[in-house]
Amino acid sequence: MSKQISRRDFLKLATAGAATTAVLTGCGPTSRFVSREPYLKMPEYTYNGMSTYYATTCRECAAACGLVVRTMQGRAIKVEGNANNPVNLGKTCARGQATLQGLYNPDRVENPVKQARGAQLSQETLDWNAAIQIVSDALKNTKPSEIAFLMGMAPDHLFDLVSDLAKAIGAPAPIRFGALGMFEARATLSKAAEDLFGKASMPFFDLENADVVISFGSNFLETWLSPVALTRGFAKMRRGNPERRGYFVQFEARMSQTASKADEWIPLRPGTESLVALALGRLIAEAKGGSLPPAFASVDPLTAAADAGVQLEVLERLAQALVKANRPLVIPGGAALGQSNGLAVAESVLALNALLGNFGLPGGVFISPLAPAQDAYHRPASAKEMTDFIAKMKNGGVKVLFVHGVNPVFELPKHLGFAEALAAVPQVISFATFPDETALASDYIFPDHHGLESWGYQRAVVSAKPVLSGAQPVVTPYFNTRATADVFLAAAALAGGKFAEALPFADEVAFIQSKLTQLVGEEGFFTAPEINSFTAYFQQYGGWWTSDPALATPSAANAIAKRFTPAAAEFAGEGEFFFLPFVSPTLGEAGANKPWLQELADPTTTVMWNTWVEMNPVTAHELGIENDDIVEIVSEAGSVEAPVYLYPAIRPDVIAMPFGQGHTAYGRFASGRGANPADVLGSHFNEAGDLAFAGMKVAVKKTGKTKVLSRLESRIGVYGEGLEKE
Amino acid sequence: MTVDLNKLHAVGAIAEEAEGKWGMVIDMDLCTGCQACVAACAMENNIPYVEEVDAGYGRSMHWIRTERFWEGEYPEVKMSAYQPMLCQQCGKAPCEPVCPAFATVHSQAEQINLQVYNRCVGTRYCANNCPYQVRSFNWRDYQDSRVRPEITILANQFNPDVTVRRRGVMEKCTFCIQRIHKAQDKAKSEGREVEDGEFTTACAQACPANAITFGRIDHPESLVAQLARSPRAEHHLEELGTLPRVTYLKEG
Repeated sequence: MSKQISRRDFLKLATAGAATTAVLTGCGPTSRFVSREPYLKMPEYTYNGMSTYYATTCRECAAACGLVVRTMQGRAIKVEGNANNPVNLGKTCARGQATLQGLYNPDRVENPVKQARGAQLSQETLDWNAAIQIVSDALKNTKPSEIAFLMGMAPDHLFDLVSDLAKAIGAPAPIRFGALGMFEARATLSKAAEDLFGKASMPFFDLENADVVISFGSNFLETWLSPVALTRGFAKMRRGNPERRGYFVQFEARMSQTASKADEWIPLRPGTESLVALALGRLIAEAKGGSLPPAFASVDPLTAAADAGVQLEVLERLAQALVKANRPLVIPGGAALGQSNGLAVAESVLALNALLGNFGLPGGVFISPLAPAQDAYHRPASAKEMTDFIAKMKNGGVKVLFVHGVNPVFELPKHLGFAEALAAVPQVISFATFPDETALASDYIFPDHHGLESWGYQRAVVSAKPVLSGAQPVVTPYFNTRATADVFLAAAALAGGKFAEALPFADEVAFIQSKLTQLVGEEGFFTAPEINSFTAYFQQYGGWWTSDPALATPSAANAIAKRFTPAAAEFAGEGEFFFLPFVSPTLGEAGANKPWLQELADPTTTVMWNTWVEMNPVTAHELGIENDDIVEIVSEAGSVEAPVYLYPAIRPDVIAMPFGQGHTAYGRFASGRGANPADVLGSHFNEAGDLAFAGMKVAVKKTGKTKVLSRLESRIGVYGEGLEKE
Repeated sequence: MTVDLNKLHAVGAIAEEAEGKWGMVIDMDLCTGCQACVAACAMENNIPYVEEVDAGYGRSMHWIRTERFWEGEYPEVKMSAYQPMLCQQCGKAPCEPVCPAFATVHSQAEQINLQVYNRCVGTRYCANNCPYQVRSFNWRDYQDSRVRPEITILANQFNPDVTVRRRGVMEKCTFCIQRIHKAQDKAKSEGREVEDGEFTTACAQACPANAITFGRIDHPESLVAQLARSPRAEHHLEELGTLPRVTYLKEG
């Protein structure tokens, strides 16, 4: 009698098989990609109705949040956070959720193409062998000093590979840039840490353990550095301790999404942030008694308050609150740093923290640890460094430019002239996944996989524990794309000689393993005795991180002793309004091509699918401007047009505009939609080289045109009703 | 005078003496308005985007949205807490008795408010009668590749556990019923009850601030039931007697 297997038993076995293979997937070269098959022809490890989950890393920004992607029949269905990853602990932001609409975007670059700098995506496809030959020739036949690599802020493994290649062949080190880094003013933070703590690094603000938090313009709940990690920190600060509710004050000229969560929003006159920080310091020092530290000796709180447009009593009350707090914390960031005196703002805020004595204490200021497999803190290029690079391109110093993961034609202020400089480079090779502005202006596009189809790793920026978040393909590549790392490896092998010696790896995974080798045997979330087990665990758990925090304590001495000259920021231009650009909280720098990110309502204005200009209703009334009237914003560097949104929580002398729209390319959902505030930004920098993006004065002109903004909050505008009354 | 709400219930609605089965608690003090829940909900439930023009006409189909209200004028202007608003899965749902097609009915098993798409004939009476304005009408074949060519590729992402709706039907939050069923099936096959926290809705799972908690409100020890007993708890439009299953925690 033959043994019968019931349907139930069969399903049990099938489940066990699926679980086993899920763990093993990716262990050997044969299984380096999962495959996408028709529903009728099932890959052997998938079963009808059963999902397979893969851990990987989000590439929508560079924060290194871990993801677990649910796949069925080789299709990616849903993104969830990786609960193990210390950066996001199982959570995601809206951009992470919508990354699937980037993967299955109708406007991807589907094949390698000879773009020839056309206005549209070229249809002249090449095969990958020809593409590799072109890259190889470009590397081999160009003087190394005239090769340039321009990389995005993610992924880190490709940056490491290109850095190794550049070093070995004697080319200049790759340049890293991203609009988020520019608007975050990362160079300023790093320079302030260097000046006061002796070493360039990323300061770490222990938000979750603080009980009174004052932020100078930092938009940490939106896009700043690592929004998911900082939102969790905010939530713990607010409600993490049952004994008390955290108190949060935001100084900012406009009520941003972050400021809308504050208990007190204090609209400072733009440019007076360092005066207010120093004045707070002086008031605190006086309240504490003893000798006045040099940092705060030369500021007069009364004048500072008057300059900032704040009552002195408010500053005195806040100083008292900070003195009484057990764990006070002051955070600098965002537009406060993107001004002519941004470095002074960052340093005076760090000095204020030093005075409060919170360095190295819970809820205080630390120095971020280096990530695993990282030699030193490398910040992305500042806008000043990009300007120098643009000059080099214009002067013929760059003969071959490789671009990956960044779209500087769109992201940099138009005034800096990146597009014109690009025209002066004889050969531009883009590895863009999407047909963005920079890719279209290239000679060739050799498309990289989407992040969810890619191998890689990314280092965490904001994390107490050093985190190396691992990426693996969750689906097989949908189009005829190829990993840029593999293209470089193949091109180097083809070029032979020093190129092949620089990158002696069979493929991308072998390269990644070579970087992971140094972590074998290290104590951490998991410890593996040899590289193959390490790589298997690295994929299964979505990365490697230490079990304990590794924060360093900065020295407070220099910060307190630094003598500041209190001065407000200088503003460029003649207009009557301060111009305050901010990164769209829902779109980020590169979300405009995902329809569901467009469909999300902006948290504060509820506008969807467009760009708006925020203006105080009283100011608008004086100028005779109504909701949805299109205005022209004119700065010394350029002009831009967008409809007005009467925003009740903005200073009357400030107008604000979100960054993220205004594409001329980048697919059907982004192209021709909205306006780009970078078109009016100039070429003024702060002492750290960051763009003074919030340091412009602009004029506002009526155009007589209107464009009704689609908002979630109002349903009458499009019918033409209520326009007169509003 | 106390009103016995069970005596007031409209014909067609099922009276529930108990507090319900599944419940949600949303901490408005933590919600940062970041829209992660909205995006997660859209990805989980195959919710179509309607694009700019239809969105301007109020046809956008968010099953969950964050509301905020202004008070006062500059400089004394204040914004209310963000209020994530979704179907409150009312114990006495005003949408139910008005449906002529019995398309919106109460599930006796799960005690939540169902929307049966293939019964719905699109009268929109339910949306008209919903005090929370959380029902969205599907005006066009947004998910049909013959109407929108890009759906051919975007459809790869669709969740096979959730129906793709055509035009002419009303849609709303289902408390991720597909996840409820999946967790229950799994627990049943393993001969046990569903544990608290074993699964959650897409919005709660994504929320970076952990402002949303979902679970068995009728189990006193569950996290959601404990949070619902907070002194900060309130129900929106409680005076209407709808018995909402979503509890909000105030600021302060």
